Amino acid sequence: MIRLYHIVKSYGAHDALRDVSVHIEKGEFVYFTGPSGAGKSTLLKMLYGAERPSSGKMLVGGLDVTTLERERVAQLRRNMGIVFQDFKLLPRRTVADNVALALEVVGAPRDQIERRVSAALNIVGLKGRDQSLAGELSGGEKQRVAIARAIVNDPAVLLCDEPTGNLDGGMAVEVMEILQAIHLRGTTVLVATHDQGLMNRFPKRVLRLVAGKLTSHESHVRRGPKPPEAR
Amino acid sequence: METMRRVVRGIREHLYFFSVSTGVIASALILLGLFAMVVRDVNGMIGTWQADQHVSAYFAAGVSSETQNTVKALLEQRSEVAKIEHISSAEAAVWMTERAPDLDPVLKELGPDALPASLEITLKDNQTSPQQIAAFVETLKAQGGWEDVDYGQDWVSRVHTFLSLLTALGVAFGVATVIATLFLVANTIHLVVHARQDELEILRLVGASEQYILGPFLIEGVLQGLLGGTVATTVLYAIHQGLLVRLHDLLALAMGTAPTFLPAAQVFVLLVLGAAVGAGASWFAVRRFLAGLP
Repeated sequence: MIRLYHIVKSYGAHDALRDVSVHIEKGEFVYFTGPSGAGKSTLLKMLYGAERPSSGKMLVGGLDVTTLERERVAQLRRNMGIVFQDFKLLPRRTVADNVALALEVVGAPRDQIERRVSAALNIVGLKGRDQSLAGELSGGEKQRVAIARAIVNDPAVLLCDEPTGNLDGGMAVEVMEILQAIHLRGTTVLVATHDQGLMNRFPKRVLRLVAGKLTSHESHVRRGPKPPEAR
Repeated sequence: METMRRVVRGIREHLYFFSVSTGVIASALILLGLFAMVVRDVNGMIGTWQADQHVSAYFAAGVSSETQNTVKALLEQRSEVAKIEHISSAEAAVWMTERAPDLDPVLKELGPDALPASLEITLKDNQTSPQQIAAFVETLKAQGGWEDVDYGQDWVSRVHTFLSLLTALGVAFGVATVIATLFLVANTIHLVVHARQDELEILRLVGASEQYILGPFLIEGVLQGLLGGTVATTVLYAIHQGLLVRLHDLLALAMGTAPTFLPAAQVFVLLVLGAAVGAGASWFAVRRFLAGLP
């Protein structure tokens, strides 16, 4: 599904990523972890075409995204869902309007949009909140709306950049449970996080980055003691 | 249909920014419209002055009326000539007596031919430069049979110097106005687009193409321009009616012509210009912003 070959990303003299090679199979759930500045977000940005590697090659679903033109980047993003720490919602629009955006840009018919938005909101547990304004929701609800928007077009890959970074423990667990449910439906899920507690609670394959270098490929994190905030 | 739905939603959500952009375009077009009105009135004034420019050719004593009429007919055939008025000695005496009654006894003593008959020759509009008038007068003098040929050389020269200066000032002010207008509108719309950066960024992240994003912004720009043009036309008309018409007599006296409102064609140009500036500025601002997005 995702193939990275010797990826290097440099900003001047600073190397954000150094010779990163990794294969992620279809339907996998993978954590990218590491301290701040390790290169987790940079790696995700490359996967959705917001950054280009200085050298190396990356394939997403067989498509070489290393040298993708701008219009092709838009097409790439229509086949993946992206979730951010800061939600990236339009606060003055309703929940339904925010989720519908991902379908409107591909020109989906209105009745199909309504049906799929409703289904996506159902998955994230926001049924009945479709007409609420996004700006009036709690942090956890906002992130659920962002996830609904990310999955509404049924993407093959879901990229999540610190999806629980702005949430308290309980809400973070709820969001992780939703991501796990989406994964169980067959979606490849990549989560950048430095929250060891969540990785312990939801053990998956972990790719650890330190100073831009991939330092370990763990099949599963060891189950440690549950973090105090976890349910 | 979907695009128009997005346009309406965009305007509704950002009514303040839409109003600001429209207001700035309207202000800019008012500035341009005022300039166009002034240019139009000055052109009218220049036309009046040019119509006043004529050559006075005084026949020498002894030239018969028949010969005078023949000369008039011949001159009327020349391509430079717009019209000729013949003034007989008697008509000249009446004209002089009306303006200087004290001279009446003197004129009577000198007899009916005291003042020479003359031709008042008006040249065509494209023949009124000082050089052209001088050349025409030279050919006239060369024919002979004149006591004097006069065309107010100093007046013609001064008028043309003034008109050249006015033209240069008009061009400079016009260019400055257009540049200021474009700068003002482009920067305002850039700021308005900047205020909607979250929306643009999210659209990009969910896979919207540039055309998809640009479409509604272009239509909003056109609407802002048309609305701004309508507001500008209304304000210009109010200014014209409220201010210029009240000073009608004074201006008519000073300019030699009554101030007029912009004709329909120029109002149409103002609207089209507004729409073009609105759409153009939106296009540049959004494109520039999108280029900086991941």
